[in-house]
Amino acid sequence: MGDVFLRIENLTKKFGNFTALRDISLEVFEGEFVCFLGPSGCGKTTLLRAIAGLDIQTQGGITQAGRDISVLPPSERDFGIVFQSYALFPNLTVEKNVAYGLESRRARRDETSSRVNELLTLVDLVDQRVKYPSQLSGGQQQRVALARALATSPGLLLLDEPLSALDAKVRTHLRQEIKQLQKRLAVTTIMVTHDQEEALTMADRIVVMNHGVIEQIGTPEEIYAAPASEFVAEFIGTMNFINAAVSGASECAHQGGALQISDNSIESNRAVRLAIRPEDVRLLSVSGSDQPNQTSGQVISVEYLGAFIRVTIQPAGWQEPLLVDASTDLANELEISAGGTVNLSLPAEKILIYQEDS
Amino acid sequence: MATTAVQVGKGSGVLKSKSSSDDRVMRLFILVIGGYLVIALALPLYAMFSKSVFNSDGSFVGLSNYFSYFQTPALVYSIKNSLFVGIITTLITVTIAFILAYGFTRSRMRGKPLFKTIAMIPILVPSLLPGIALIYLFGRQGVINWALFGNEIYGPIGIIISEVFFTLPHALIIIITGLSIADARLYEAATALRASRIRIFFTVTLPGVRYGLISAAFVVFTLAVTDFGAPKVIGGDFNVLATDIYKQVIGQQNFEMGAVVSVVLLIPAALAFFVDRLVQKKQVALLSARAVALEPKPDRRFDNIMLTYAIIVSIFILGILGMCQFAALFKFFPYNLSLGLTNYQFDLMDGGGWNSYFNSIEMASYTAIFGTIIVFYGAYLVEKGKGFGVIRGAVQFLAMLPMAVPGMVLGLAYIFFFNAPSNPLNVLYHTMAILVISTITHFYTVSHLTATTALKQMDAQFESVAASLKQPFYRTFLRVTVPVCTPAILDISIYLFVNAMTTVSAVVFLYSPHTTLASVAVLNMDDAGDIAPAAAMGMMIFYTAAGVKVLHYLLSRGIESRTQAWRISVAN
Repeated sequence: MGDVFLRIENLTKKFGNFTALRDISLEVFEGEFVCFLGPSGCGKTTLLRAIAGLDIQTQGGITQAGRDISVLPPSERDFGIVFQSYALFPNLTVEKNVAYGLESRRARRDETSSRVNELLTLVDLVDQRVKYPSQLSGGQQQRVALARALATSPGLLLLDEPLSALDAKVRTHLRQEIKQLQKRLAVTTIMVTHDQEEALTMADRIVVMNHGVIEQIGTPEEIYAAPASEFVAEFIGTMNFINAAVSGASECAHQGGALQISDNSIESNRAVRLAIRPEDVRLLSVSGSDQPNQTSGQVISVEYLGAFIRVTIQPAGWQEPLLVDASTDLANELEISAGGTVNLSLPAEKILIYQEDS
Repeated sequence: MATTAVQVGKGSGVLKSKSSSDDRVMRLFILVIGGYLVIALALPLYAMFSKSVFNSDGSFVGLSNYFSYFQTPALVYSIKNSLFVGIITTLITVTIAFILAYGFTRSRMRGKPLFKTIAMIPILVPSLLPGIALIYLFGRQGVINWALFGNEIYGPIGIIISEVFFTLPHALIIIITGLSIADARLYEAATALRASRIRIFFTVTLPGVRYGLISAAFVVFTLAVTDFGAPKVIGGDFNVLATDIYKQVIGQQNFEMGAVVSVVLLIPAALAFFVDRLVQKKQVALLSARAVALEPKPDRRFDNIMLTYAIIVSIFILGILGMCQFAALFKFFPYNLSLGLTNYQFDLMDGGGWNSYFNSIEMASYTAIFGTIIVFYGAYLVEKGKGFGVIRGAVQFLAMLPMAVPGMVLGLAYIFFFNAPSNPLNVLYHTMAILVISTITHFYTVSHLTATTALKQMDAQFESVAASLKQPFYRTFLRVTVPVCTPAILDISIYLFVNAMTTVSAVVFLYSPHTTLASVAVLNMDDAGDIAPAAAMGMMIFYTAAGVKVLHYLLSRGIESRTQAWRISVAN
C-alpha cells in the first residue's frame, strides 16, 4: 500500500444525547478500497457523511492528502459521491448529468464533451447518452451516478450503499464492475454497506463497525478467518458458539464435556465463548481415530444449499446444536439423513476463543 | 477488540463547519425573506395588539377597551352570530362535500371532470357574489322568493347559503384527497371477509377519511367565521365579527374597538388553524404509506344516484352564477327584463369604474409574480439551507402564521402599522405596493405549503451531490430545482392571482382613490344600491379568473408533454 491518504483522528459525533460515533481513528491509504461494514445504526453512514463534510463531526480531526479538512464545507473538499438513491438530476440527460461538475470549470466545450465521452465509455453507457435517468434501469442509473462522481477526477470516491436498491443479479454484476473501475483508476474509495458479501468481495480492507465504534479493521481474509471480537465473529458469515470455562492448560469445559483449545495463556476458571465455523467442523466416517475433540450427535435436519449441505447436529449433552457444512459427496458417503447419528470433531486450531469482558 | 479508554478529542469544544460562500449567501437571503415577513406580518400584528390596549388619545388603558367591548351587548351578540354561522355552515358544507367527494372517488358516474370543474367555480368569484345572486333569487322582488315560505333572505339564511357556496370547493378538495388515499387492498380484504357494503363504509371508508373530514370542517369553519363579503351583502341587521370590524373602523372611525374585535376574531381562527395543523400531520402519515389505488366497480343504481346528486349540486352553483350574469344583463330588474350592457358602464357608478378592474388585474399580476418568487425561494431556503436553524425555524413559523390571520384583521393591522406617522414605511400607504404586499402575505401559507411539498419530493441528496461537484447552489436551484418544481410554481402563481382578483377583506382597508379594486368596487356599488352593476363587475372577476385558469391548464399541459420524457420518474 502507498502513503496514508486519509487520516481520521479521535472522531466523535453526537446527535443530542446520542453518541453516533465514539472516538474513531482510522487511516486509509492511497488507492485503497475500504468498506465500512456494520448493521444499520452502527454509525457507518455518519462516518462517511463526516468525511464528506455533509454532517460535521462533534469532535476530532480529518486530514486528506495532508490537508486538514476537519471543518471545511463539502464544496471545499475533494471527493465524488454516489448515493443509494442515485440522486441523478431527473430533468437532465445522461450526458448533462455527467457533465454537471465540468461545465462551470471554464473548460472548453469540446474538452467537456470528450471527458463525458470518456466516462460514459468507462461505464459502458455511450449509447444511452441522450436519455433521461427515468428511461434507464436501476443499474444503468447507478453507473451514470458513478460516472458523474468520477468526472471531476476527485481524490476520494465515497459510495453510500450504492448497490442496495438494485436486484441481486445486477448487484453482483455491478459489484465487479465498480471494483475493476476502482482498480483501473486507482482512486481511493470508501464504500458504506451493510452487506457482508459485498464488503468481502470488493474491499481491500474492511472496517467493521458496531454501536459507533470500530470493532475490527482488516483484510477480508483476516476479518473472516480471525474475527477480533465476538460481534465480528457473529456478524460475518455463520458461526457456532459454545459457552465454556477454561479448565486447564489448553482445555475448556462445557456442558457437553471438555474441548482442547490452542491457547494455553488463559487463566483457569475464566468464562469464555468458543466459536467455530460450520465448514471447520469435520464429519468422520469412523469414531476412535486420532482426531481430537471428538463427539457424536444426532442429525436434526439437513439443508440442501446447492454446492454443499448444512447439517444441524445435536451432540449428546450439548447446550445447543452445531451447524456443520459438508460437501454433497461426503454427505452421501456418510449417509447423513435426519434422525441418524454422526461422528464429528472440532479441530483445536480452528476454535476461536472470546473472553467475556471483565 | 475491546475499546480502549475514550480519549478526549483535540480541544473539548464542539466543532462547527466553516461556512461556504454558498451558506453565507443563503443565510443573507433567508434574512431578507425573514425581514419581509417581519415587516409584512409580525410588526403589523404587533401594532394591532398594542392598539387594542390604547385609547384614541394614545394613552395606555390596559384591557379597558376589552371591558367596554364585552359590556356592549350589540357587539358581544356578534360573537354568537359568528359562531352560529360557522357551525351551521360547517355541518352543511362538509355533508354536501363528503357525498359529492364520495361520488367522485367511489362511483363510476359519468361526467366527473365536468362536475369537478363546476364544483370549483366558487373559488373564482368574490364571496360577495353569491349574496348578490341570492338577493335576485330570494329578495323582496326575487325570482323564486316564494321558496323561502315568507322567511327573510337578509340575515342568517342568506349568509349561510352564501358561505356554503363559497366554502364548498375548499372542503371538496380536502375530502377528495382524503378519500383518494384509500388502499384498494383493504377493500379487497373486507370483501373477501364478506363484509356488507354498509359495514365496509363504516369500518374502512370512514376511518380512512376521518382526518380529511376534521381538516375540512376546520377550514370551512374558519372561512365562514372570518368571511366579510357574504354578511356584508346579505347579512341585513345580522351582525357578525367581520362586519363589526368594518363598521367600527369605516363607519365609526373607532380604530381601538376595531382592534379589539380583531383580536376576538383572531381567537377562533387561530384555534382552528392549530387543530388543523395537528390533524394534517396525521393525514400526511397516512398518505406516505404505499397503497394500491382503488378502482371503483360499476354499479348502475349507485352510479346514477351519485350522478343525480352531482347534477343537483351543480345546479345550485350554476344557478347562483347564472343568476348573477342575468342580473348584470337585465336592463332594469324586475321591471325591464330585456338584456343589455348598461350595467357594465362602471364609469358612471361609484367604486372606481373600469379603472378598478384594470387595477385588480395589475395587482393580481404583481402578486402572482413577486409572491411566487418570494414564497418559492423562501420555502427553498427554509427547506435546503444549512445551519442557521433558529432563523429557518422562525421563518417557517412566520410562513404558517397568515393562515391563522383573517383578512380583515390583517388589513386593519396594516392600517395601524403602515399609516403610523412615525413609520418611515408609511410612504407605502395608499399605494399599489401595499395592496400587493398585503395580498401576498394574506395568502402566503397555502403557497408556502405547496412549495414545501414539491421541494420535499425532490431527492434530498441533490444539494450534496452539487456541493461535491463544487457547483454553486444557485446553479442547481435554477437548473434542477426550478424545472422539477415548475408545476408547483405554476400552481402557486395561479392561486395567488385568483385570490388577488377575488379578495375583499384585507384590501378593503387599504385601497386609495387611485388604487380601487374590482372586488372592492363590487362591495361599494352594492353598498350604494347599484346591485346590478355590482353583479356585472363580480362576473368580470369570474371571467378573468376563469380565463387565467384555462390558460394555466393549457400551460401545464404543454409543459407536461414537453417534459414527460423525464417527469415519469419524479411522479414515482
